[in-house]
Amino acid sequence: MRIAGENIGVRGLTLLALAGVVGIVLGIHGWSLRHQGVPSGFAGPQVSPSTSVGAPGKASKGSGHSAGPTSAPAQGPSAPAPTSSAAGPAAAGPKLSSQAYASYAFRVWPGPVSQAASTAATGLVIKVHRHGSGITVAASVAGQPPATPKFYAAGATVYVIEAALGDDSGNTDYNLGDDGLVVTDTQGRIVQ
Amino acid sequence: MSGNASPGRADLAGRAYRFAGDWAPTAARVLLGLVLAWFGYHELVAPRLWTGYVPGVAASSQVAVVMVLVHGWVLLMLAVAIVTGLALRLAAALAALLVLQIVITLTVTGGLTDLTLRDVGVLGLAICMTGSSRQRAVLTG
Repeated sequence: MRIAGENIGVRGLTLLALAGVVGIVLGIHGWSLRHQGVPSGFAGPQVSPSTSVGAPGKASKGSGHSAGPTSAPAQGPSAPAPTSSAAGPAAAGPKLSSQAYASYAFRVWPGPVSQAASTAATGLVIKVHRHGSGITVAASVAGQPPATPKFYAAGATVYVIEAALGDDSGNTDYNLGDDGLVVTDTQGRIVQ
Repeated sequence: MSGNASPGRADLAGRAYRFAGDWAPTAARVLLGLVLAWFGYHELVAPRLWTGYVPGVAASSQVAVVMVLVHGWVLLMLAVAIVTGLALRLAAALAALLVLQIVITLTVTGGLTDLTLRDVGVLGLAICMTGSSRQRAVLTG
């Protein structure tokens, strides 16, 4: 068989057909996980109320244009409504260390902030302030309106989730679809 | 003594050049295919992580997910074709177009950065493969 002047034999066609089927199967698998903001091997069941920071990635590129919900922190496709509020501490969820994405968590509070954490936070604006007996955390996408600070009890730790540091360059995060923010209590349990 | 060593070295260098000439295009082909396969696979199994790259569509939309899945499938097919050398020049040309689109989109949205330049290198490799005529380890028949 000739395609655009190039010969493809029976074995080649069979291999391409096989690859096509495998691709479709993988695509069906990916489609079934489309509501998860993290990869399949990343978080498993989304039991944690993690809040994605800026799911619409285009908003992070500093291009001035934005698409989709841009109020920060924007809700990722897998993120249920935040359980915390400015009025008081949130109910704790599972331990961060029990989550598959724990290895992608970079601590940004309390310091010191590692170089990797700084890179992971690229494209995000995360503001943590001491407030009374706890801290307030406001996370938003750079260039977008600031988020409303949320209060957490003393001892809270703030992590930024970044599945792939390779999409960060300079002060630009090309893809915020794999970013998130997690706050844990003193026991390491996720409160946001 | 040096007169005896020089022909040996020249011969060794000649063989190395010939070996590189024989196999470097194949190595380039396979490595380009691996890059495409890696991205294609991950776009297929975790499309939501890639929707931020889709231009002109809200990253949270299902349209973006579908576009990523289609893109991932095409990348996977091109990867298989390139790694095995099936319709290599055509597959490489299509890959070059895909990477060119990515480079343009990244440049427009984020400027010229190290990330974009890295893709420019991949683009160059794909363009090079469109003119490749000497390949080893190609699936035939």
